[in-house]
Amino acid sequence: MATDPPPGLTRRDFLAAGARLGTAILAGPYLVRAAAAAGADTLNVALTGCGEQGRVLLNAALKIPGIRFRAVCDLWPYNRRYGERLLKKFGHDPVPFADHREMLASTPDLDAVIVATPDFMHAEHANAALRAGHHVYCEKLMSNTVEGARSMVLTARETGRLLQIGHQRRSNPRYLYARDRIVRGAGLLGRVTNAEAQWNRAVAHDLGFPAHQGIPDEVLQAHGYANMHEFRNWRWFRKYSGGIISDLGAHQIDIFNFMLGANPVSVMAGGGRDYYPNHEWYDNVFAIYEYPTPSGTVRTSYTVLTTTSAGGGYFEYFMGDEGALKMSENPRYTKLYREARAPDWDHWADEGLIARPGSGEGAPPPAKPWEKPHRRLPGLSRQDSVVDVRESAELSAWDMPVTLDKAIHQPHLENFFDAIRGRSTLHSPGEVAFATAVTVLKVNEAVAARKMLAFEPGDFVA
Amino acid sequence: MSETDPSGPAPSRSEQTWAFLLLRLFIGLRTLLAGIDKFESNGTYSFANYYANMGRMAQGITGASFLPLWATANFAHSLGYLLVLLGAALLLGLKTRATLVLTGLLYVGLSFGLMAVQEDEGVAWLAIHVGLIAGALALARHNRFALWRDRS
Repeated sequence: MATDPPPGLTRRDFLAAGARLGTAILAGPYLVRAAAAAGADTLNVALTGCGEQGRVLLNAALKIPGIRFRAVCDLWPYNRRYGERLLKKFGHDPVPFADHREMLASTPDLDAVIVATPDFMHAEHANAALRAGHHVYCEKLMSNTVEGARSMVLTARETGRLLQIGHQRRSNPRYLYARDRIVRGAGLLGRVTNAEAQWNRAVAHDLGFPAHQGIPDEVLQAHGYANMHEFRNWRWFRKYSGGIISDLGAHQIDIFNFMLGANPVSVMAGGGRDYYPNHEWYDNVFAIYEYPTPSGTVRTSYTVLTTTSAGGGYFEYFMGDEGALKMSENPRYTKLYREARAPDWDHWADEGLIARPGSGEGAPPPAKPWEKPHRRLPGLSRQDSVVDVRESAELSAWDMPVTLDKAIHQPHLENFFDAIRGRSTLHSPGEVAFATAVTVLKVNEAVAARKMLAFEPGDFVA
Repeated sequence: MSETDPSGPAPSRSEQTWAFLLLRLFIGLRTLLAGIDKFESNGTYSFANYYANMGRMAQGITGASFLPLWATANFAHSLGYLLVLLGAALLLGLKTRATLVLTGLLYVGLSFGLMAVQEDEGVAWLAIHVGLIAGALALARHNRFALWRDRS
């Protein structure tokens, strides 16, 4: 049964009021979030580059209170519209720009600029934002050239602005816990002698673009791109990127430096373009570094493949004479292992530093729906056993009791915004990321040279 | 020349008595502790734990088989008490032959539930129990040290 409008209210008024009420209810959560972002502590932020990585950062930043997006910038209208619409959905009102110089000139009250453009544009975009007086969060790899990366450090130093590079594992509480509490604090790995890391990714086709959405060639060429195919697949071309060692490897090689607290003294590498005929950069790279650390030399190997996801996905594995730590942004690949010769770890589990495995390797089989959960008796961890004189005793598996319940980029952005507010120091400042860029980019030189290349300590100083 | 029995000498009554006693003790202890375990959760024992454990068991079997919840729930809720009673009766020697038959039937009933969810490992495990009980029944006439003896 329909309800008649009250006297004095026409049917049209009633429908209009109902529509307004419905809109208010639907938009409520977004408006509340936007209002919360407009407090006194609010930071005005712009995003340059609304592509794949820009969207990841946007989605992570939208979960952080006290951030108001004032502008988005992208050369491609298709990407720009996406960023603008996403932000408007969450109560922001960004002004869209095609040119970052115009954006910086038109929105002077920005506090920070997030740069997520292709690597070869990082230095130009970051330096311009720094010179405009803004703090900068720039995606990794810092630049596709050492000189580009150096210019960013120098500009940040000159302007006194903050420059954070997007090596987001450095703000991940799991990685911080692993380094500070497990490796350095408790020394559970003993003397770290080796590390290896890999990122194996299945074959992927080149990126295309929707029909009638391409950018005219003359516009692309004015911005340094050869054509739409290279614009969309810039990671594979030498002019725009450092290749997969810079695209994927940079994250994990940075973790070698982070965990070992050192820069390498040498690198040898191999790789090639063996699968994708229309790419310029290598589709597989293998690198071996030598790190001098206070406890001795650590040799590390790194593999990145783009033709197979076999081999266990992506992880960084640190191995010592008493234990090993397999880390990954994906907790499923993360595990701690104790060597049979190491002192007992049960007391570390009792103190809460580490956990007996609740799932995965080393964990008891999960109870079936009709079974009573297995009772685990303290002190009955897996016993060490030697199967054969040639084999070592089996490693026992343990877990870390730390989880990350946020998007993986969120803590790193939070660290950046906290540093702007003076509540924290940057986890990946330009100087540190410069050392990583030098470490990473040398691999491509070593592949081309087909020999071991040496680093000098001065190489890592901008 | 004297003829010899190719199967060898028959076991003495003493050996058969000990064989049965070992079986009775093993089955009795196993049954009693299996029942007590139903009351345990996180190291504590209580009736609340019992009904939680047995409720999960009934729901799990029903969820994965054709057996209705009323049947699995009734069986599960009586299982722990029966295991404790039968286990204690075997240890004490109370009507041992009848107790063994009831214990065997209980394990067959439990096996039926596990067969319904195709839990082959559990079925094989219970089959060993049933086999031991069958062996015990074959030796039951050698029962000694019993508080309430069977009629011979």
